[in-house]
This record gives sequence, C-alpha cells and structure tokens, in this order.
Amino acid sequence: MTADESELRELRASVREFLEAKSPEEAVRKLMESEPRFDPAVWSQAADQLRLPGLAIPEEYGGDGFGLVEVGVVLEEMGRTLFCAPFFATVLLAAQALLASGDGDACARLLPGIAAGRTTATLAVAEDHGSWDPAMVSARAVLDGDGGWTVRGRKCFVLDGTTADLILVVARTVAGPTLFAVERDATGLAAEPMQTLDATRAMARLTLDAVPATLVGTQGAGGRIMAKVLDIASVGLAAEQAGGARRCLEASADYARVRHQFGRPIGSFQAVKHKCADMLVQVELAEAASREAARLADEDSPDFPVAAAVAHACCSRAYMLAAMETIQVHGGIGFTWEHPAHLYFRRAKSSQLLFGGPAVYHERLLDRLGI
Amino acid sequence: MESDDMQDFAAEARRFLDAHVAKAPDRTAVTWGEGDDSMAYFSSLPPDEEREFVQRAREWQRIRYENGFGWITGPVEYGGRGLTPVHDLLYDAVESEYDVADTGVLSVIGLGMIGPTILAHAQPHIKDRWLPAMYRGDAIACQLFSEPGAGSDLASVTTRAVREGEDWVLNGQKVWTSVAQHSQIGLALTRTNPDAPKHRGITAFLVPMDTPGVEVRPLRQMTGGADFNEVFLTDVRIPDDHRLGEVDGGWTVALTTLMNERATVGSEGVGPVAAALSPDHLSALMRATWTWDDRALRARLAELLVDVLATEHLNARALRKLRGGIAPGPEMSVSKLMYGQNLTRAAHFVSDVLGPRIIADTGQWGTYAWTELLLATPALRILGGTEEIMKNILAERVLGLPKEPATPAAKEVRS
Repeated sequence: MTADESELRELRASVREFLEAKSPEEAVRKLMESEPRFDPAVWSQAADQLRLPGLAIPEEYGGDGFGLVEVGVVLEEMGRTLFCAPFFATVLLAAQALLASGDGDACARLLPGIAAGRTTATLAVAEDHGSWDPAMVSARAVLDGDGGWTVRGRKCFVLDGTTADLILVVARTVAGPTLFAVERDATGLAAEPMQTLDATRAMARLTLDAVPATLVGTQGAGGRIMAKVLDIASVGLAAEQAGGARRCLEASADYARVRHQFGRPIGSFQAVKHKCADMLVQVELAEAASREAARLADEDSPDFPVAAAVAHACCSRAYMLAAMETIQVHGGIGFTWEHPAHLYFRRAKSSQLLFGGPAVYHERLLDRLGI
Repeated sequence: MESDDMQDFAAEARRFLDAHVAKAPDRTAVTWGEGDDSMAYFSSLPPDEEREFVQRAREWQRIRYENGFGWITGPVEYGGRGLTPVHDLLYDAVESEYDVADTGVLSVIGLGMIGPTILAHAQPHIKDRWLPAMYRGDAIACQLFSEPGAGSDLASVTTRAVREGEDWVLNGQKVWTSVAQHSQIGLALTRTNPDAPKHRGITAFLVPMDTPGVEVRPLRQMTGGADFNEVFLTDVRIPDDHRLGEVDGGWTVALTTLMNERATVGSEGVGPVAAALSPDHLSALMRATWTWDDRALRARLAELLVDVLATEHLNARALRKLRGGIAPGPEMSVSKLMYGQNLTRAAHFVSDVLGPRIIADTGQWGTYAWTELLLATPALRILGGTEEIMKNILAERVLGLPKEPATPAAKEVRS
C-alpha cells in the first residue's frame, strides 16, 4: 500500500501531535536516566492509537502493509523529538530481518506480536569491535542433539538489548553467518546496559552461554539477510537523522531571529546567516536523499542499494553539521546541560557511527557503484 | 501526484521534441581514450564558430516559438502561450532529455529576465516591437546593469542619463555584460538624479545596441575565453518612449528583472561537464591513472559522489513536484548552489588524481583537458549572484532571518 501526499501529511501531523504531547523534552530527559529507557505506557499508546509498530508489516502478518516512505515520515518525527522507544530496533532491525529471511513460518509466528505492539524486538550482530559486517561475527551456533540449536558468544551495541522480548542473533554455523531467534527469558542469556554517548538510545552487551535458539531462514543466509536489513535500516536511520537535523535548523533560525547582540538580532550578521544557510542546504539534501531512497525501496528499484548508501552518508553528515552549528549559533547557552542542543549532538554523532561510520559507508557506496 | 493537466502538457512537449530532435546522448558513460575529451564549461570558440553557435540557438528558439513552446508564460496578445511558470519549468525539464541547441545566449538573460521586465514596464508599442522578436529568436537582449563600481550593489550605478528635449543622453561604462556582442537591445540602469537617495535616483532605458555611441569590447576572462564584455556609452541618444517605468523609478524596474532570474532545474548535469560528475567517468579516470586503490582518494571520491547523487535526488523530487503542478521551494536554490560546489570539488579531486598531468599537457587523452573545468570553477561561485548573496537569500527568504541593517554611511546617503 502507498499513501498519497495528503495521507502522508495527515500521518505526519498525527505523529507530531502525539509526540509533542507524549515526548516533550522533560519526558526525554527523565527517560534517558531511567531503566527501561522508554515508557511502556506511551509505547502501548503508539501501538493502539497510531498503530505505528505494524505500519510497514505486511497485512498477512497483522500489519497495515505500508512501506518505507510511510515509516520514514514516522522516523523523521521521532528524530525531531528524540523519542525514546523501541521502535527502531523492533521495526527497522528485527522485523526487517525476519522479512528478509524469507522464513514464512518464523514471520507468521513472530511478526503479528510485533505488529500489534505486544512484542518488542532487536537484532544482535556487532560484537566488541562494533562492526555490523556478518563476516566479522564470532558468536557460534551448534545443534544441541535434539534438533534444536544453542548459541554461544558475546554481542555488543544491541539496541534495547536489556528490554527486547525477542532477540534475533547472527551467529556462525559451519555454513556461515546465520540468523537465530532467542527469547528474552531463555536460559543462559545475560544482558547488561552499556553506558552510551547518546543516552536516549539504549544499548546493551549480551552474553550468550549455550542459549537455546531457533533457526530463522536457512543456514548461511546471514550475509544476504544483513545486506538487505542494513540498507533498509540505514534509510530508516537517515529519515530519523533528517528529522533531527531539520529540528536543529529550526531551533537555530528561531533563536537567530530573536536573540539580540550589539543592538541587532544575531541572524542579521552575515556570519550567522551563512551558517544557517549552510545548515538549510544540508537539511534539504538530507531530506531529498532519505525520502528518495525510501521511495526507491518501496518501488523495489535496482537503484535502491546505491540510494541507501547515499542517504546514510548524506544524512549522517547533515545531522552532525546541523547539531554542531546549533550549539555555535546558541553560543554559551548551547553548551549547557540544560539546553537540548547536546542531546541532538549526542544523537547525531551516535547515529553517524552506529553502523560503522564514514569509512565503512563510503566503501559501501563505492562497492554499490561498482567502483 | 501527477496532475492530468501537467501530464498532458508534458506529453505534448514530448511529441513536439520527438518530431524535431534526437534524445540526448549519455555523456556520463565513458570508454577511456575515445571521443571528445573537452571539459569546457565556458565556450571559447573562434569567431566564425561562435556566429554559427548563436545562429543554431536562434533557429531552435524560432522552432520552439512556432510550436508554442517559445514563450510558455507569455500573454497571448504578445505571442505567448498564457500558461504558468510551473509549465515553463516542466518544459525545461522535459527538454533537458533531448539533444537540442544550447539557447542560453538568448534565454538566460533576454527571455528569462529582460522579457518579463519589458512586459511589466514598457509602453505598448515597445512591447509590440520587441517582445515577439525576442521570443522568436530574432533579437537577443543583454543587461546593462553592472559597472566597475557597482557589482552586487547595483543601486550604486553612476552611468548618467540627462534629458534633452524628447531624448535622453547616456554616458558611462558597464561591465561583466554577458552576450552584449550578440545583442540587439540592452536594458540600462542609469543615474538621473544624483541628489536623491541612491535607490531613488535611477532610471531604466531600453537601448538599441546599434545606437551611435554604444561600443562593445570583449573582456577576456581567466579561462582565456571572452564571454563577457565592457560596454561604453558615449553620448548615446535614446528617445523618451524607450524609458521603462518612471523617471527616477528605475529601481522597481531592476527588481522586476532580478526577481525573474530563472530557476535552473532540469538543465543541470547536461553538456560536456556532465562527465565531471559521473561515477563511471571518475572511476575510469582513477583506473587510467593507477590511483584506483588509493584509500585517501577513494574516500574523497565517495564524499563527492554522495553530494552529486544527493543533488540528483533533490532535482528528481523537484521534477516530481512540477509534474504534480506544484512549484518547487528552496530546493531550486539549493540545487544551483550545490551544482557549482560539486563541479568545483570534482575539478579539484581530479587535479589530485592527475597530479603533474594537469600542470602540463602530456598529450594523454582526458587529462590536461580538465584544466578547462578547473579554470572555470571560480566563476561558478560568482555568476548569477555570488555564493554569499545566494546564502543571504536562502537565509532571509526561506528561514526568515532579518536583513543586515543599513550602515551609517548608507543612511547618510539616504537622508
């Protein structure tokens, strides 16, 4: 299903209204210092009132069957407010991994709970080195003798890793990297929260000590699944980054219009004006790159993998620039704990490096272009 | 989001273009060592080829006009089509897919900026005389605005116009005048009242370029070519009916011209320099120069391509808006800014790939040719409004930031 322009506007308006009510700055600040780092009541409302978790899950699995364009609108809005919720891990990582696995049984078993907002989920790939490249995975899975599997190893940087009900784990078998499903209460699973640069995004370290697991998809398919998931997740992340960058630009322009120094609004000084114009250029490019990539994904276009790499690189840079310049435009006040600018700075830097950072995504782009 | 009206119009444009011209060749694919390796952004043609170039532009403009695409936004009584600016932009975008003659010599300044100014401010018989001629490709127009002492600050012009009976006599010097050497008319800003505040003492005139006393001298630019001119006005006698707007009210006329600076979506990435922004071309260059696996260069190539491809996405989205009948917003200005920056970065990236091969000609295909683009890049940050002016416009018109207050000196002049 594809929403037309006016439906997208309505979706944006209702998500914005919801987030402004449920995720004001005070709420974000409170949640980023609590455990879990989201409000289960608000998450339920997002599921029940707005049906957000199931927005892009196919109808046959209990979702509404929309695509990345619609999810992109939601993520732009979440990025604006730094909404603390297990949305990204559940919908952009776990649900997309299940869909990419092509495992109809696993999808039928696991996706309806995700779509309804009853199950939160995540994807555990990176280990101590932080790479999302499945070739770098050292966690291992072995058959336990009764036809089941057990997984052994450590995972790091697992989004919402202490709270997710369902954890999809990439582990190595003799056939290569492979996807497995692990339940939160499985024996041998331990999770500890990591201290994070961006406190609004929870991450955990997992220790898996012969944890019972279910094979998802086929053995050795982990590389193919992860290539697809990373493209979709990085476009989702790009949308979130574009939304955050737009919010920074708006805050800077608002402040530059009203803050007076030397007898005039600081926005009338060309140096400040040009900073804001540079941010505008980056934000416009970021929105175009992320929205266009989402459109190409939904059309199943062969241009999508290149566009996904462009979106991730472009939006990472745009958000970082916007977050840095926001502090600069606000001067000393922008450097205080009380001002929200640092929350955006932290989110921007953390998002830029989440899947490996510029060196990784630049080679990824060149690879997709055949260079 | 395609609107029916826009779809019909685009289809009609396509039928017209299919009947008259071929599709544009793909200039981004490359077989190393084959074909033309020109990287010229500015033409620097010998005079006879330059005349042919202008002739081809006029010919194509005439065919456009006779088929209803020469003046899409113009009023029907003066030979226009009576449609919206969105139709105009959509036509340009469709036409960019075809291999048509470059009509910039007529359109950028004459049809895009001076035509609408004449329409808004000239007397009816002047409109009858010049508008159809311009849009048919018969008359080329130039802008006699800039002066040695008045570039971005146009209100500082000092060329004098003094009333003598039914005529005005103009004296002064203009500069940076594109296409003056080919023009039949020019729109001149002159100072008619030196005692008034500087914006209020200016009057605009339409100057037939064959009037005695008008002298056009080519101005050689850093690429070696001469796209601009100096224009000297010595006792140039212009009848009062060639005045546009009120006496001392020329600033309003100038603003009409500046506001009509045409948006450029769809025309970007065409021409020989498209190769400079093409992943295939740039990677072929790296292979040919054995810099393929240089990690630092690869990282820079990736950064450059991110901007090039994101700018393409911006243009694609603007085009989709146009097809839906919606005028694009700031993305057009952003696109223009990025186009110049992308070409500049591409030229400097390639310089680093080529190394010494760009400082002296080894005769190797596709190497020293890049000097043509390299030398054009500073102009890309100046022409059509400097980068600084463009950024001011984005900040003030899109973000609503306040204007720079007038300096004490400017206040004195006004009071």
